[in-house]
Amino acid sequence: MPAEILARYIGAKWGEPVVISGLKRFHGGAARQTYRFDATGQDSGRREGMVLRRDPASTLIETDRAVEFRALQAFSDSAVPVPEPLWCESDAAPLGAAGFIMREVPGGRAASLLEPDPYGTDATALGTALFTALGTIHRMAPEAAGLTAMAPQDAARIRLAHWRATFDADKFRPEPVIEAGFRWLERTAVAPAQRVSVVHGDFRSGNFLFAGPRLLAVLDWEMVHAGDPLEDLAWAMDPLWGNNSGKAAAVLPEADAIAVWEAASGLRADAEALRWWRVFAQVLGATIWVSSAREIVDGRSHEPVLAFAGMVPYRYHVMTLAQTLLEMAA
Amino acid sequence: MSLSLAQLLNCLGMAQATEVAPALALVGTEGAPDAGYAAGTASTTAALLMLAAGDAASADAREAVAAAAARPLVGDAATGRDTRMAALGDLLFGAEAMGDAQVQRTVLVLLAAAAAADYAGLGLAPPE
Repeated sequence: MPAEILARYIGAKWGEPVVISGLKRFHGGAARQTYRFDATGQDSGRREGMVLRRDPASTLIETDRAVEFRALQAFSDSAVPVPEPLWCESDAAPLGAAGFIMREVPGGRAASLLEPDPYGTDATALGTALFTALGTIHRMAPEAAGLTAMAPQDAARIRLAHWRATFDADKFRPEPVIEAGFRWLERTAVAPAQRVSVVHGDFRSGNFLFAGPRLLAVLDWEMVHAGDPLEDLAWAMDPLWGNNSGKAAAVLPEADAIAVWEAASGLRADAEALRWWRVFAQVLGATIWVSSAREIVDGRSHEPVLAFAGMVPYRYHVMTLAQTLLEMAA
Repeated sequence: MSLSLAQLLNCLGMAQATEVAPALALVGTEGAPDAGYAAGTASTTAALLMLAAGDAASADAREAVAAAAARPLVGDAATGRDTRMAALGDLLFGAEAMGDAQVQRTVLVLLAAAAAADYAGLGLAPPE
C-alpha cells in the first residue's frame, strides 16, 4: 500500500498537500486488508490517525464494502460505539482496491482467538457494555442502515438458503456432519423473528476494541445484513468465541449475557428459537471455514489466516456440531 | 483435517516467499514499510506448523481407530477419510429417510468421536 496513494487521495479531500506517516498493515483480518496511518496536512498542520479497509485479492467472505460503510454511518453518533466513517470508494482506482477510510479509534485493543482470559477482572463490566451494544444494534430498522428488510417469517429461511448455497459451492470433501446440520435446520421449524433489524453478522470476542472495562468500538461490519436478532446473539454466544472461558464472548455467563441483551433490545430470547440459531451458528461457522480452506486448496490465496481458519475453527465447529446433533438425536 | 498437509505447507511456503522474505530484505533500509504484518504472517505460520506437526504425529493412529470403528457399518469404505465420510453420510441420510433412529445415532456417535479426535490432534485444550 504505497503512502503516495493515500497522500494524493486525502490531499484531494482536504484541499492541501498531505504527508502520510506510520503506515502499518494489521495482521489477521481475512475479509479486508486493514492499514492504519497518520495523515498530516502540510498547510494547516492538521494531523489525524486513520484506518483504511480495502478488498484483498482473495477473501474469506464476499461482501460489499459500501454496505459496511453505510452501517458505520448509521451507527455514528449513536449509543453503539463505532469508528467514524470518512470516505468510501467502490471503484479500485482511488485506493488501489475498493475500500473505505475511517477515523482511527486510539487506545484500545482487540482480543485474539486463542488468548486465555483476555478481559480479566473487567469481563463483567465490559460484557455488560458489549451485550447492551448488541441489543441496541437490534433496535435499528434495516432501512436506517441502507439494508433491505424481509418479512419476519422469512429471516431464517433466507439466511439458511444463502449459506446452504455457499456450502454446496465450496465444499471439496465429503462433510457429513455439516450436511447433517443443514438438514436439521431445513426440517426444523423456527419461530418468525420477533423483529427484523440490523444484524451485525460477526459480533463476537475479537471484533471490538476495548480498554479495561470500556467498550471503545464495535468493528468488522462486513457481514452486516437484515435479519433475526437472535442470529447475532447465537453467534456471539458460540463457544468458539469464548476463549475457553465457558462464558459468552469470554465476558459473561450465558444467562447474564441473554438478560443484558433482552433489556437492551426489548426482545425475548425464546429458548427454542435460540436453540435453532445456535445450531445455525455452528453450521455457519463450519461453512465459512470450509470456504476459507477452499481458497487455499484452489490456490487463490496463501494467507496463513485462511489456512488457520480451515484448520482450527473448522475442526472446532465440526466437533461441536457433531456433539450437538448427537445430543439432539438422543 | 480440512486442508491436507501438503496444501498447508504449500500455502505457508508461499506466504514466506511473498510476504515475509521481501519485508525482511528491506529491514534497515530507508523508507522500509512497517514489518509488523510480515512478523504476524511469520508467527501465524509458526503456530500452524506446530499444530500441523502434532497433528501429523497422531494422524495415522487416528485414521486406524476411525476406520476400525466404521468398518462394521460401511465395510471396505471405512478405509480413507473421504470414502469413509461419504459412506457414513450415505448411511446417516438413508437412515433419516427410513426413520431409523438407531442407525442415525450409531453413525452420529462415530462422527462425533472422529471429530473430537481430529480436534484433539491439534493439541489444543478441549472447549469449556
